[in-house]
Amino acid sequence: MPKFTLDGNEIEFKPGETIIEAAKKVGVDIPHFCWHPSLSVSGNCRVCLVEIEKMPKLAIACSTTASEGMVVHSQSEKTLSARNAVMEFLLINHPLDCPICDEAGECKLQDYAYQHSKGESRFTEEKVHKDKRVPLGPNVMFDGERCISCSRCIRFADEITKTGELTFVQRGDRVTIVTFPGKEFDNAYSLNVTDICPVGALTNRDFRFKARVWDMSATKTICSGCARGCNIEVWVRNNEILRLTPSQNDAVNSFWMCDYGRLETFKQVHSNERINGVYMKREGQDVKVSWDEAYANAASELKHLNKDQIAVIASASSTCEDNFMLAKFAKSVLSTKHVDYIPHVVPGSGDDLLIREDKSPNAFGTELAGVHPAAGGLNRDAILDGVKKGTIKALIVVDEDLAAMSPEMETALAKLDVLIAVSTHHNRTTALANIIFPSATYAEKNGTWVNFQGRIQRIRPAVTTLEADRTLDNLAQSRLDKFGTEYDRWGRSVKLDARPVWKIFAGLSTAFGNKMKYTTAEDVLIDMGKSIDAFKKLDYEKIGEQGVQLELSAKVKA
Amino acid sequence: MKLSLKKVDLILGSYSNEEYKILFEMLSRNSDEILKDLIESGLKGRGGAGFPTGLKWKLCAEAVSDDKYIICNADEGEPGTFKDREILDRVPKRVLAGMALAAKVTGAAKGYIYLRAEYSFLVNKLQKELEEFHKILKSNNIKFNVEIFMGCGAYICGEETALLQSMEGKRGEPRNKPPFPTTTGYLGKPTVVNNVETLVSAFMVCRIGPEEFKKLGIQGSSGSKLFSVSGDTPKPGIYDLEFGLSLAEFVDEFGDGDTKAVQVGGASGFCVPRKKFNETTIGYRGGLTGDSLPTGGSMMLFNSSRSMYNILRNYLDFFAEESCGQCTPCRIGCQQLKNGIEAVKKGEKDPEYLNQLLKLSDTMKITSKCGLGQSVANSFSSIVTNFTEEMIY
Repeated sequence: MPKFTLDGNEIEFKPGETIIEAAKKVGVDIPHFCWHPSLSVSGNCRVCLVEIEKMPKLAIACSTTASEGMVVHSQSEKTLSARNAVMEFLLINHPLDCPICDEAGECKLQDYAYQHSKGESRFTEEKVHKDKRVPLGPNVMFDGERCISCSRCIRFADEITKTGELTFVQRGDRVTIVTFPGKEFDNAYSLNVTDICPVGALTNRDFRFKARVWDMSATKTICSGCARGCNIEVWVRNNEILRLTPSQNDAVNSFWMCDYGRLETFKQVHSNERINGVYMKREGQDVKVSWDEAYANAASELKHLNKDQIAVIASASSTCEDNFMLAKFAKSVLSTKHVDYIPHVVPGSGDDLLIREDKSPNAFGTELAGVHPAAGGLNRDAILDGVKKGTIKALIVVDEDLAAMSPEMETALAKLDVLIAVSTHHNRTTALANIIFPSATYAEKNGTWVNFQGRIQRIRPAVTTLEADRTLDNLAQSRLDKFGTEYDRWGRSVKLDARPVWKIFAGLSTAFGNKMKYTTAEDVLIDMGKSIDAFKKLDYEKIGEQGVQLELSAKVKA
Repeated sequence: MKLSLKKVDLILGSYSNEEYKILFEMLSRNSDEILKDLIESGLKGRGGAGFPTGLKWKLCAEAVSDDKYIICNADEGEPGTFKDREILDRVPKRVLAGMALAAKVTGAAKGYIYLRAEYSFLVNKLQKELEEFHKILKSNNIKFNVEIFMGCGAYICGEETALLQSMEGKRGEPRNKPPFPTTTGYLGKPTVVNNVETLVSAFMVCRIGPEEFKKLGIQGSSGSKLFSVSGDTPKPGIYDLEFGLSLAEFVDEFGDGDTKAVQVGGASGFCVPRKKFNETTIGYRGGLTGDSLPTGGSMMLFNSSRSMYNILRNYLDFFAEESCGQCTPCRIGCQQLKNGIEAVKKGEKDPEYLNQLLKLSDTMKITSKCGLGQSVANSFSSIVTNFTEEMIY
């Protein structure tokens, strides 16, 4: 490969690569605002100017392609003085309202001002005034004064969503960003501009003024919105999720996530309908009981029944570990053949960017983990039919509101001898259940999901429950946690009494006299690898930050 | 002493109905010969930037593409420049002939005249000329078609890449260079963008031959050029003068006897004070003369009744208005320079502040994306350093 020299180090590059790209590959970050790896080059911020030997003028690293033998200085006196000067320009009109700006703490302008500017301005004139608090659409708020006109948002709308709602208007220092007449900035991915905006000009209307970024912990995990499995970060303060942001994974979601995933998949974690503790029906009333009492009771109820009268409905939102344990319990402890899950596919709801028609995050993994009827067993339709006909007497259902499907179904469920609901939330099905086990949401447990591509990715706990062990589960900390103040998000928060599905089935299994020897979700995964080829030799370290493409046999793929 | 100020009559002179006939004689020549003549002549762009015309055509000719374009840049917007409108009005056939030559050399089949919005009065006349031109081309079996594209009034669209953006229906903002229009121009295809006068000069070079052409002007700045003379002068107008003229002689000829400064090259050019008239010649930079001042042809004379502060503020008003606002240094710098000199004038800032502003304008020169931001410092620093007192008191 050809090489060029950057600050005295030889760097290899692929022909056609720009200086900034080649430098990034070896971990050197040349300061930039307008350049973004997945957007076209604009070259307007002028912060990435570098000195190139034998070139008369400074050149921008984002649009200058590297060439063999080129000698580039990104730290020379000439480069630094230009960079400092451009930083000074940018700060001349920027309002410097960092104390009330949501972006503070994760602001490129703020960071670079510390790293690359002089700390004081020679210019003290009145700043240019522009429109503030302009709603560009339902989700995005614009502050014209904070904007540094990098055009990332405009290019995002032009090139990524191809919806083109945004444009610059005016010239000179009056330049600002608007939507085209009659248009709103309202597309399925609009909030991504708040992530790529290098300053606080574009903010998330849902999150505005909710928290300072340094008071939250950020936990890398996977979005639960559909089968894409976008990599995200969950931002938590006081054990409460305040926002989700996408995290880069070129194999899955690039830098992006959809607005639905960002806004609609975390609030239910803190809903009033969450089930806190185990309940049993006594004289028509739900009564809180201990876990052990509920396990023992469930076991004794189920033992009375013929194994052909028992069915289990799993959830495609549960982890592979959850469902492996569920299938194992159903087949080896209950000895029932009637195990299946209910898919949630909305035809026509997908697009060619990220959003999938399959709304479950782990349908693929659920099947791989062994959730399907055993030979001669009833499938999902037949199980539900059996419930209606009365041939199924006992049903364990995980996170599915079957009663909401139809009044007929609701009536049939009410007539079951035993209905055990494992659920995160109260719903019409849990209202009919004899026993309710509270399950942890995706944000409260470790585990793995397999996306539609067959890529296994880790979900991690961001919110703690009574069950979650802080050290074992490696929960991320916020600044406040690290100092252990009384405002610690653990200290004042509500901690629910809920457990991961796999632990609930492990508990049931123990009540049946079959003790399972798993301490952590990872133990379950490692055990799965011994019996299921797709999970062979996997552990959480191997899956890592970016996930692993499973090696699937041709049969599974079909 | 030999006078350096020599009037010629190349661009506008001896215009007749024979122009196209002469063109067809040239078109029968080999493209390589035409290119060779152009390169030999040393002709440089007449818009102000001074890129060698022969080389530009050659680069476009060498670019491989089915579609190529010739664009005549008639967005004459530099304050104090008014020669292109005269050329289009008086010798339009020569402009079209220049375009046809460029088309022949580069292999383009389509041309555009990007006409300044304010020149809409020329449209009917040009349109008639185009009809005749197309008819004659057709009867000679030459495939080349030229259309008029109306500009919308932005100064920045005279910058060739902003012009291309504008033609593509986009915001008039300069592109990053490289790639240059000769390989990636209009609609991403190889494109020659030439100033009106450049096209006529190219045609005239082929007509009189490079040897004759080189007899005009000085080494490194060959030929003659149309100058737009305005300001405090008894005889404003368009003059075809040889390059290499000394500013002292120019002022002798055109001044009103009280000239204190000449702005060479319009608002984006340099201001030359009286004491430097003798040492200043007009031509391209980098020639043997070294210190020649480049110009797109604008020569504005100011006498002692003029306030240089007002002149500079007028220019800065203009730049703050016309900066496209795309790149940081120009967007913010123009505004800052303007506010700065106003503050000094009002006494809100110390005179020392002018030095900060000079540094700021230097930064604009180094860091701006296009010629606009890079050249604001020209007039700013030449006026502020030569007329500091007028800035303060």
